[in-house]
Amino acid sequence: MNRGKWFDLLSDNWMLLATLLMSILPLSVGFGLLIESMPLLRQYHLRHLVSSSAWSPAEGKFGMISFITGTLWVTGLSLCMAAPVSLLVSIYITQYAKPWLMRTIHLVMDILAGIPSVVYGVWGVLVIVPWISQKLAPALGYSSSGYCVLSGGIVLAVMSIPYILHLQIEIFRTIPIELKEISLSLGATYWETIKYVLLKQARRGIIASVGLGISKALGETIAVLMVVGNVPQIPENMFQAGYPLPALIANNYGEMMSIPHYLSALMFAGLILFLIICLFNSISHWIIHKMHQT
Amino acid sequence: MYRITSIIITLFAFSILQSGCRQSSTHHIRISGAFALYPLAVKWAEEYKKTHPAIQFDISAGGAGKGLTDVLTGADDLGMFSRELTPEESAKGIWKVAVAKDAVLPTINAKNPLVHYIQQKGLTKAQFQRIFLSNGTLIWQSVIDTPVSVPVHVYTRSDASGAAETWAKYLGVKQENLKGTGIYGDPGLADAVLKDEYGVGFNNAIYIYDLQTGKKREGLEVIPIDINNNGKIDADENFYDSFDHVLQAISNGKYPSPPARPLYFIAKGKPDNPDVVEFLKWILTYGQSYVKSAGYVPLPEQTIQSSLQELNQQ
Repeated sequence: MNRGKWFDLLSDNWMLLATLLMSILPLSVGFGLLIESMPLLRQYHLRHLVSSSAWSPAEGKFGMISFITGTLWVTGLSLCMAAPVSLLVSIYITQYAKPWLMRTIHLVMDILAGIPSVVYGVWGVLVIVPWISQKLAPALGYSSSGYCVLSGGIVLAVMSIPYILHLQIEIFRTIPIELKEISLSLGATYWETIKYVLLKQARRGIIASVGLGISKALGETIAVLMVVGNVPQIPENMFQAGYPLPALIANNYGEMMSIPHYLSALMFAGLILFLIICLFNSISHWIIHKMHQT
Repeated sequence: MYRITSIIITLFAFSILQSGCRQSSTHHIRISGAFALYPLAVKWAEEYKKTHPAIQFDISAGGAGKGLTDVLTGADDLGMFSRELTPEESAKGIWKVAVAKDAVLPTINAKNPLVHYIQQKGLTKAQFQRIFLSNGTLIWQSVIDTPVSVPVHVYTRSDASGAAETWAKYLGVKQENLKGTGIYGDPGLADAVLKDEYGVGFNNAIYIYDLQTGKKREGLEVIPIDINNNGKIDADENFYDSFDHVLQAISNGKYPSPPARPLYFIAKGKPDNPDVVEFLKWILTYGQSYVKSAGYVPLPEQTIQSSLQELNQQ
């Protein structure tokens, strides 16, 4: 065998190995979390852990439902804010805007994506929290300290928009210009072309981009835990404090040594978060799959 | 070709070896843990390096819980610790030495309509318990007798912290039992009370008072503790006007403990690294002269002597 063949063999295998490792990675993370949370699962019933709202580790109460609902509230709110905004911006940028505006938006996106999450957290505390407690909540007839799931949702939305937007702009750019030209030449208006041709072509990518952006933002712990209030309760409206799973892990990781089952409970929280993210991605993939069929 | 490669490899190996040697001639002391002790530890490290230039310090804050975890996992030589050890923690062989004292003080927003009234009467432990341990929305009327209805917005620490644990201990509970909106970090908690007219919280003394002027931070007031439960703040319960007076009250025991508390350095077993032992001895002797100027209360002479004796025993 000559040198080139060896090289080919080696590089092929290397790439295969890297790919395999890559696909095992999520499995090993999930498996590790499962092993670490086993002591807790052996002691308590799974259904009880997931459905109880009593959280008091020193007394051996590890109810997770408030943390799960907190996570869903924050994620849901950020999704409702980030998805429409980024879609509108990406359509405008790719279809209507002048080149200089496009360059500016790219610059703004890069800056937004590069800001560390702790800075977003401080911004949330300094700007969003007082705005909600003094302006928004009273205007809507609520009383709130401003440390609430809405603040968490806003901060998370701002953090995930650059990622979503970046993907969506790329998706709109890959749609062949001929499609647009044909639609226009058939007499459709510009907006009709966007609505029926572009959006239809790009819808799978749009869903995937939103799914990715939110999954990424879900783990941005520090920014969320600085504004969300960290009260273990089930929030009844968006002006109440919540306690998402990543914040639980980050806040209490240091305390785990002194209380039995605490570490296991935090790992269990990690496992739930892992499953939520898996579920979230599966749903968006399923939607894409369904669209592919029709 | 091969020669060049071997030269490069040799140079590379040599540079690694050299950097290894360089590290062994300087000594690192790694410290992490409580926010409460962080400013003082940094001050000590600065001063210590002036006379011991070969010692390098890595100091980071992150809460008492982080300090404990890092010490147990061997990531740190010393942990900064601002609460008492639980029996489970002591059972893991944690060794501790008290290095200074400070206190956790209850705080209130200066714009609160009842602030002067509250400062005249003070609050008893039972009243603090009602504020920090009750479920649901709270008004001042249900805590003290006042004709006007004013809401109470309670804030506490979200991260595992010595300040919250010490305040909870004063109220007879654990940190997780404290109710209220959880805020990350000591500076964050001070800010939350500062911004909310009806806010009530607690802080390490050094985060309430300005070290330079000795005055309370603009907009933040302390709720005096009515220690003898007589419904008013007597002259000897009134020492919150300046940082000096508070520190004096902590020092002579007029301010109850807890919420006043000793601050510790902890290690996994009694330290045997000579650099660490030397540093701890220095803290207990020369180092104590920086305690007061950094905004903490020095330890009683007796405690220092017994700690030094323990360190000297081999």
